[in-house]
Amino acid sequence: MTQSYLIFTILLVFVALNAAILIGVSHLVAPRKPTVLKGTPYESGMPPLGTARERFSVKFYLVAMLFIVFDIETVFLVPWATIYLGADGGTGPSMGFLLVEALVFIGILFAGYVYVWKRGAFEWD
Amino acid sequence: MGKHDVSGIASPNWLTTRAEALFDWVKQRVDPAVNWSRANSLWPMPFGTACCAIEFMAAAASRFDFARFGMERQAFSPRQADVLICAGRLPFKLAPVIRRIYDQMPQPKWVISMGACASTGGVFDNYAMVQGIDTVVPVDVYVPGCPPRPEGLLYGVLLLHKKIKGESLVTAGLRDEQPLDDRGLRLPPATIDEISEPFGNSLHQFRSA
Amino acid sequence: MNPSVAALRATFGSAIGRAMELCGDTIVYVDRAHLVDVLRWLRDTPGQAYDYLVDVTAVEYRDRERPLEVVYFLRALARVADLRVKVELDPAGELAVDSVASLWAGANWLEREVYDMFGVTFRGHPDLRRILMWETYAEGYPLRKDFPLRGRFSRAEQVRQALNANPEAHYSLEELSLADVQAELPPDMVDRLRRGERGTVPHSE
Repeated sequence: MTQSYLIFTILLVFVALNAAILIGVSHLVAPRKPTVLKGTPYESGMPPLGTARERFSVKFYLVAMLFIVFDIETVFLVPWATIYLGADGGTGPSMGFLLVEALVFIGILFAGYVYVWKRGAFEWD
Repeated sequence: MGKHDVSGIASPNWLTTRAEALFDWVKQRVDPAVNWSRANSLWPMPFGTACCAIEFMAAAASRFDFARFGMERQAFSPRQADVLICAGRLPFKLAPVIRRIYDQMPQPKWVISMGACASTGGVFDNYAMVQGIDTVVPVDVYVPGCPPRPEGLLYGVLLLHKKIKGESLVTAGLRDEQPLDDRGLRLPPATIDEISEPFGNSLHQFRSA
Repeated sequence: MNPSVAALRATFGSAIGRAMELCGDTIVYVDRAHLVDVLRWLRDTPGQAYDYLVDVTAVEYRDRERPLEVVYFLRALARVADLRVKVELDPAGELAVDSVASLWAGANWLEREVYDMFGVTFRGHPDLRRILMWETYAEGYPLRKDFPLRGRFSRAEQVRQALNANPEAHYSLEELSLADVQAELPPDMVDRLRRGERGTVPHSE
């Protein structure tokens, strides 16, 4: 076990050194010649037209929020599955109890899912 | 000339000797490594306008494959490119575009002028074509041909490798930007006229009819 | 000889000049004043139905006494018939013709090209400006016979003008934004935009 930690530490040191050398040497050696024209946005060689600020539809925000909620639910189910598999015949809660507990958890979130669905949040247009 | 500014000062003392030794060390040790890295990872920005672009694509494809010379990724954004390869004729209308793209490339940057039209205007000695992109951007390697075969372009790339390997980090002003002057030109007008002059058969052609 | 020529002579009489057939193509000369009427008749008459304007171009011959011709190349897609209509202009006189952009939408750019290369003005054109050369090109009209091959300015001057040009001078962000032209949009388009509809082309009646 100590040996694998040693190997891992060597790897960690090597990676850190590699990254530091690559970035450090490039930083030292690279010429730095900023000009005004060099800093303008690239628009296929044309003078830039307008700003890059654009209005985004709020639907993206909604999708992101819904994803977070249901993704966290999935994240909680993964360790639950580990415990569930090992609960057979051991001390502690029985498998039936664990199952009902998980179903309650999923059920609450499912109610939220049905609400969001009926409100039309899954319709893109 | 391999000497830097310091040695031009009158009396050599401890400081100038040390500085000279440092510069020589850089030239001996660091330069070959840096030049090798730069030369063997030249990411091209293909500025293909006409027929030479087809030969450029052929040079990029599997039979001739310039990825084996380090040009692994064609950078279509000047920000990530090392060498601007102008493949094809350049109309006057496109001249400000290539100049702006060249200006937006970070140093170190080189330019390969591929083909006769990019080098001298080629067969198009008329009212609409730039007579050689060196009137607009500084060029490092000219590859002649109409169009040059892919092997020709590869030879040009290897010439550029040789040029890069002869460079040094301590050369003053090598990697400086050369902006346009206040008239908006790169070269004095007399020089532009001189390098755009017709030659060969073009001398006998002066009418549109 | 394309039978449209006989039909044209029957309808327009003296406005139609000579007609000829060369290499299987029919060419008919039309008087400048009646040009738009002739072309509209050719497009709209059921038996003619030249609904496709293939090209608008111009010819200046090297013989100085020959007039400058503006050529309209028409095609009837349903009947698979071609017709070439030419208008003769005096190169020393006023080079102006009426625009047919109202008849065929494609004539817009085709006439701009003829204007750019020959200097022929198209009366009634919605947007007559240079299309191949840049808009502030001051050396003249390149395909005229008296235009020298390499242009009138020195190479240095041409490079200087080219590098100082702004390729997007004609367009400003305001022109490209819908917000400022709300008043000019057709009402059904305003409705659709308000409802957030994307990607539909307003159909024309």
